[in-house]
Amino acid sequence: MTLAEDNGPERGGDDLLAAEYVLGVLPADERQIASRRIDTETAFARLVDAWEVHFAPMAAAYAAVEPPASVKVAIDRRLFASTASTSPAPGGSLWTSLAFWRGLAAAAIAALAVYVALPYVNPPVQPPRLVASLAADNSNVKYLAVYDAARHEVGLSLVSGDHGAGKDFELWMIEGKNAPVSMGVIPAGQTARMAVTPAVQQKLAQGAVLAVSLEPAGGSPTGQPTGPVVAAGDLKGI
Amino acid sequence: MAPQDISKLIVRTSMKDRAAFDLLYRQTSAKLFGVCLRVLKDRGDAEEALQEVFVKIWTKADRFAVSDLSPISWLVAIARNHAIDRIRSRRSPSANIDVALDVADPTPGPEAMAVAGGEAERIHHCLDELEQDRAAAVRGAYLSGESYAELAERFKVPLNTMRTWLRRSLLKLRECLER
Repeated sequence: MTLAEDNGPERGGDDLLAAEYVLGVLPADERQIASRRIDTETAFARLVDAWEVHFAPMAAAYAAVEPPASVKVAIDRRLFASTASTSPAPGGSLWTSLAFWRGLAAAAIAALAVYVALPYVNPPVQPPRLVASLAADNSNVKYLAVYDAARHEVGLSLVSGDHGAGKDFELWMIEGKNAPVSMGVIPAGQTARMAVTPAVQQKLAQGAVLAVSLEPAGGSPTGQPTGPVVAAGDLKGI
Repeated sequence: MAPQDISKLIVRTSMKDRAAFDLLYRQTSAKLFGVCLRVLKDRGDAEEALQEVFVKIWTKADRFAVSDLSPISWLVAIARNHAIDRIRSRRSPSANIDVALDVADPTPGPEAMAVAGGEAERIHHCLDELEQDRAAAVRGAYLSGESYAELAERFKVPLNTMRTWLRRSLLKLRECLER
């Protein structure tokens, strides 16, 4: 493969740019452009993420150095000094409210009523992002799910639990009394991203329930859950 | 602390749990300070960068859920990218190049290698397939945040040559990583 070929409009040029970004060699202006693209282009963000994963093992060479105590004091002052505004950076309202909702999901359903007005105070300008905390009685499996309508994907973060050898977790969408629809086997790892089909997208946007079942390796052989539901939860809007 | 525990702390931090954030800081700030110091090569600067890094972690912790990175790698990526942005915006980028050459050999010790496991062997194996100075350029760029301009100076080649070199190395790396 030649350099010229690889600079083509297909994946080559962007993939190399992603690698250069992660490596850190780009001059300030090119770095800024790349950084903006990470925020706005899913495909480019993925390329960057993949290179971060490739290069991450090199970070083992960074020696740990204890920072002076004054640093944490300064951080706390910046983040928490005025209790009136725990909301940190300008433009951070999406993140703040997202985390806010997760906190709610974890804390108490009762508190929901209090914040029902939130969407009116903070009207969403982006396509909807929905979050769900997935858990169940008699199970230590907990997932945090974020449905990103703009990217047509569900991001999953395993908070606790594991499926053990020879098993897999499978993700399901359940709408009302209809049979669960498989969204696929959850890829191994602490975090996973799963693409969402158009049919499921629509249901999710209307607030379907997500559930995780324990299945034989490779997923349910029947197309319906065969093992116990180890975690489930409602998607909530931001 | 196990990666899963760090994950939990990040997730709880995204729920604005201050106790979790404090613990996350205690568990990871030394590593992230090491990253800032290595890139910025100035204590005061690194301390300020570390503050900004943890402010970012507090505000963007929920992005972790959609990343493919392990928790500690995700945190390191935030610190590295922030430190590199910071050093790139400095006026004279090569002011401290001599200091950069003094820092310890970037090859990880056996302990670090063992922790990182198979994935680590792959990148190191692929780096070993490159010519020695090219691998050194990639490692130097990654660990110390050296720019193309600084690398060109260090290897005494024109800037464009440096860029061509490094991009060729990246292509070779990609080919090896995908093998």
